[in-house]
Amino acid sequence: MNIDEIFDITSFTIDREAHIVLDYAICTGCDNRGCVNSCPARCYTWSEEEQKMTFVHDGCLECGTCYVVCHRNAFTRWRYPRGGFGVAYRMT
Amino acid sequence: MSKTYQAIVIGAGPAGSSAALTMARAGLDVALVERGTFPGEKNMFGGLLHRMTALEKVFPNFWDRAPLERHIVKKGVTFMTAGSSFNTTIESGGFDRTPYNGYTVFRPRFDRWLAEEAASAGATLITRAMVDGVLLKDGRVTGVSILGRSGQLNAPVVVAADGVLSFTALKAGLRRPSFDPAQMAVGVKALIDMPRELIDERFGLVRDQGFANEFVGCTEGVRGGGCFYTNYDSLSLGLVFHLASLRTSGKTPYDLLNAFMEQPQVAKMIRGGKLLEYSAHLIPEGGYDMIPELVGDGIVVAGDAAAFCNATGLNLEGINLASQSGVLAGEAVVVAHQNKDFSRRSLSVYKQLLEESYVIKDLKLFRKAPHMLHNNRIYQEYPELMCSFMEGIYRIDGAPKESLTKLFLKSAREKVGLGNMLTDGFSAWRSL
Repeated sequence: MNIDEIFDITSFTIDREAHIVLDYAICTGCDNRGCVNSCPARCYTWSEEEQKMTFVHDGCLECGTCYVVCHRNAFTRWRYPRGGFGVAYRMT
Repeated sequence: MSKTYQAIVIGAGPAGSSAALTMARAGLDVALVERGTFPGEKNMFGGLLHRMTALEKVFPNFWDRAPLERHIVKKGVTFMTAGSSFNTTIESGGFDRTPYNGYTVFRPRFDRWLAEEAASAGATLITRAMVDGVLLKDGRVTGVSILGRSGQLNAPVVVAADGVLSFTALKAGLRRPSFDPAQMAVGVKALIDMPRELIDERFGLVRDQGFANEFVGCTEGVRGGGCFYTNYDSLSLGLVFHLASLRTSGKTPYDLLNAFMEQPQVAKMIRGGKLLEYSAHLIPEGGYDMIPELVGDGIVVAGDAAAFCNATGLNLEGINLASQSGVLAGEAVVVAHQNKDFSRRSLSVYKQLLEESYVIKDLKLFRKAPHMLHNNRIYQEYPELMCSFMEGIYRIDGAPKESLTKLFLKSAREKVGLGNMLTDGFSAWRSL
């Protein structure tokens, strides 16, 4: 399984408006960044070179892992997507 | 536009739909609010629906009525290393007779069915509705608001069945503002396509029989385990990790899942299968000590939102506790309506019902299990010990044999250490 091909495996109805919003300044100052390895959908990527966090909400499985592992509370918003949007499991 | 109901249930999962079903059957005007386009769309689990005694009371022929896959007749545990595995399996005729002990199901089908049963009983099912606000008046919950929709839903009582992170319980002041990663686990799962006949042949099954297997030692030392379930014509293969351990390991859930699928013995189980779907979800694994305030003025909390999940290391129960707590929440609301009193004190009958049921009794009994399971040796050293001991027993290599005791002590000293073993044995005995 290639996690970069998540959109071929799992269905999403993507909302243009992100349901999770980060204050990247907090991520830059973070000594842990457990979100990067813990997120099962690889929504978080940290660039060591640019010292920059990137977050993409499109393939979010709405599992809640980042909400719990982030000990800096870097979220200016953390909620589930609007009704009808986000991950759409067919079987699972 | 605002609407008023006699009760609002947030979340059409097993807890919420069981609550709505109970209240609707008692004649209450209930709204069942779900953020998915249909109930079950957002829900995943390992794959094993335990026996649902609470629903069997409502549907005596539950196993004929619910959209189930296979019933489980064979359960196994595998202690695994990168190259070897030691299995124990129990298959029983008792598991092959109704009432069945457990089933595999697809949540988008099962949860949808249960919510539709609640709707048939008279509940108003509102989908595509993400609750984002709890209406409070003088500290009492009086309704909810929905994201992106004007107006609100009013009711004298709300059942928060909105899942593991329960923002409803947070907004009503019933849970702490942050979670402890040591009390949470994340599960990831691959659903793998496979023809029914091949599954029957490969795993020794006939008719609707199913096989469930748990794995220890398959997580590269991260605290957690694996699971494997047979559906009619697909396989569920998943891993669960304690969040605190996963975070510090630096490993990713998908790399670990890929490595698990490539372990030689697991690879043979899923050979020829095609990946159909990948899913993930949090599990509240803190046990009794993690339970939030269950009752407030005008609100009760049920299911994962109440952290009703029993992870003892042998069983991982949640969906049955969710459904049971949902039914009891529903019953408590019915009583509150009879007394026309929705105060915390009046709704506390819910807590009383829970304490009399297996939900709280089991969680109390295994209160120490989450702590015991935080022992890292369980996830690497012990599986290595089991495999190396068993391999030693069967190995024929021309050297004179050693007694079983000597062989075991040798493996134990090498892999775990005898002192550790005594401590761990005592800890396990105390917790289970």
